[in-house]
Amino acid sequence: MSVDYKQRYVMRNDVLINIGTFLARRWSGKPNTIVTLKDGAIPFVNIQNFTISLPSLNYYLGTEFQKYRQWRAALWYESMRIAHSTKVLSYDLAFGFILNTLESKRIEILGLGEWEGMENEVIFNEGISWLSRPLLNALYGKQKIIEAFSQYLLTGYIKGELFGGELERVHNAVDFANAVVKDALYNNRSTDWIEQQVPQIIKLLQINPLITIPLIAPRSRIGLSLSQSDLMKQVERIVKTKNKEKDGQIVKSIVDGAQLLKEFESLARESKRSESKGYASLEEFGLSAPDSLAVDERAIYDNDLITRLKAAVRYWKSGWIEMHDERGDDLDTDAVLESQPKPFFTDFKLSVKTKIALLLDHSSSIEDEEIEYKKATIALCESLKFLGVSFAVYAFSTKERKVKCWIIKRPEEKWSTINARNLAQIKASGGTPLAEIYNLLLPVMKMFRPDILITLTDGEPADYGAVRSAVTSYKMMGIRMVGIGLGKNVDSAVNIGQNLKGLEFEKTLAVSRLQDIPRKVLSLLQI
Amino acid sequence: MMANTDMIYLDWNNSFNILRKAHKASLFVLIIGPKGTGKTSLVRKFTSDLHKELHSVNFSLRTRESHLVGSKTMNQGEISFVEGILIKSMKNGGILYLDELNAAEADVLLRLDEALDDRRQIILKEAEGQVIKASQDWFVIATINPLSHAGTKELPPQILSRFPVRIRLDYPPKDIEMQIVKNHVSVTTLEERELERAFKLANGLREAASLEELYYSPSLRESIAFAKLIREGVTAKEAAEVIYANVYEQWGEVEYRKVMDMITSIFAS
Repeated sequence: MSVDYKQRYVMRNDVLINIGTFLARRWSGKPNTIVTLKDGAIPFVNIQNFTISLPSLNYYLGTEFQKYRQWRAALWYESMRIAHSTKVLSYDLAFGFILNTLESKRIEILGLGEWEGMENEVIFNEGISWLSRPLLNALYGKQKIIEAFSQYLLTGYIKGELFGGELERVHNAVDFANAVVKDALYNNRSTDWIEQQVPQIIKLLQINPLITIPLIAPRSRIGLSLSQSDLMKQVERIVKTKNKEKDGQIVKSIVDGAQLLKEFESLARESKRSESKGYASLEEFGLSAPDSLAVDERAIYDNDLITRLKAAVRYWKSGWIEMHDERGDDLDTDAVLESQPKPFFTDFKLSVKTKIALLLDHSSSIEDEEIEYKKATIALCESLKFLGVSFAVYAFSTKERKVKCWIIKRPEEKWSTINARNLAQIKASGGTPLAEIYNLLLPVMKMFRPDILITLTDGEPADYGAVRSAVTSYKMMGIRMVGIGLGKNVDSAVNIGQNLKGLEFEKTLAVSRLQDIPRKVLSLLQI
Repeated sequence: MMANTDMIYLDWNNSFNILRKAHKASLFVLIIGPKGTGKTSLVRKFTSDLHKELHSVNFSLRTRESHLVGSKTMNQGEISFVEGILIKSMKNGGILYLDELNAAEADVLLRLDEALDDRRQIILKEAEGQVIKASQDWFVIATINPLSHAGTKELPPQILSRFPVRIRLDYPPKDIEMQIVKNHVSVTTLEERELERAFKLANGLREAASLEELYYSPSLRESIAFAKLIREGVTAKEAAEVIYANVYEQWGEVEYRKVMDMITSIFAS
């Protein structure tokens, strides 16, 4: 298992978020935790709303596999903060930096008590991040003191040299900090109690609590290249410090990380699979992929609506529905008819194998009700996923004066929070250039061949003639064209429905209440 | 079938008390809970304590009306009616246990409904309109899995109303789960520690399944199986892999790897 072999894999961000969200929820014990990616930003958690923000893999040093291991370790630390801390302050000021450093040590110990299998990964992470730690000799003044404190507290040693008074100050502060962490662990004390001890550490370090820390967070990148032999030596050193009985074989096993290699390979294969199934090619057709991964999709999740909708279609999962008939040839009418006005039934197979493409209008006309509109479409997509229906979702809007057709969900993808994030970041703006969008989508639809293309729109396209012609060409491909008009009230819904009728759609529906969208679409599946 | 009086059941949520009182008041009982939470064990133990006969039906989409009521057969040139389990239990008394009732088809439920109403009788169209009246001590307990389980359907309101007493039986807390496992397998202190980790894993998977992040939720049976394997000398990590992780492979490699990652995080190498 050579390093080069591992280097070949490339991980897609959506695949990363998928496993990251799963693990963060289990590790933190908070099922509504979400993970977002922000390029270049240090790992950070907002404990109040359970949001973990991590950099993408390129932030880290080493091979792709080593980068993944560091990313995963950072995710674990932030999840442990959600599980065990009540506060995370900004790393920008000395006070917050010190509190967070103390908490890193405390939550690592608490976390390893529960997640024993993380020990080797924590050692690996410490080893590899140590290589990117700044040399103290290259730092000056207060920065040097703070960095030395962080290094010494978290690892038990420092990188570079400290002299005279500086060394003594750091020593004393770390001794006190260790006592604080020990006391907190032993007496089950909270983050607030630890925060009360931070002024004493600042006093021992003789620094200003409001000093800005241009240094980045503990264990982060400064931009050195990585030597694998240096890594091996560093891990060996940590292993010796932690447990002298461990031998060289264990060091190699920690550096190799064989226990996670298969997981990484599997995720990399998944990344390649989604890529080869048209991610790049769809973009070549002129479609755009939303690219922000620092989006909180929870704002457009209406769990009540989703639950109600799922409950309404739940019996479809069995594949059968009971239909009451006026006559039959099996039951004893004398015995049952008296109490049951319609006692006979036949089983009628529902068609949930219909392939659907959804096109969502995000022109400025829906701007006022954008969130409600998104909530309704999310509930619809969750229900389609629940029913196992094959579907794709596209949206159009205008961005920087250009009409964009966005890929929200590709047909081959499984619906996940990533798709919800794609939708969440589309801002409603611009007009309704339906014909242009249909022309853009045409080659994609030829590949996907949906049974139905459902367009949700305000029903006022820029060019009626061109839309009629595009709709006709879709129909000639055997795609059932359905238009759903979105009106702000019953009158406007009726008007929009009338407009759509003139656009050659095979079926037109109109809704004035956005929550009705999912039911209207799902009703099309029964045909 | 007479239930085994020696069987052990840990009544951690006071279900026996409710069952006893419902039985005394002749109120049929519905037990609601995910699979593998001990619903069947509860009913078997309750029946054995009462020294009653237990008639069980396990419902599926293939359970037909004739399984329940009976059917006509030809024997040596004679046509006779062979009673189904519903009729037998009504005549003989005892406990009728309708397991996974919400997996039953509509026609089956319709026949059952007839027997469960206040008259406690059923007209056998299959046997010349014979009227079967239930014995005085006839008692019915049904179980249903939550609707998220494959093959389950919502029970029609009229069937639900036949079971006015409803007991919820969820996965037990960790300490209770430990006691339940210990009732089946004797474990050392060291093994107990590994079991605690397995429970942590199982609870994580149950939570993920409840959020539909995974498609399978491990039951108490898996916890007992885990204890038995580590008793046989299988390492905890290996036992966790075969008992908890491998099943997820059927939903794709990534699903399996997610669970394996949890195992890697929980169990030291």
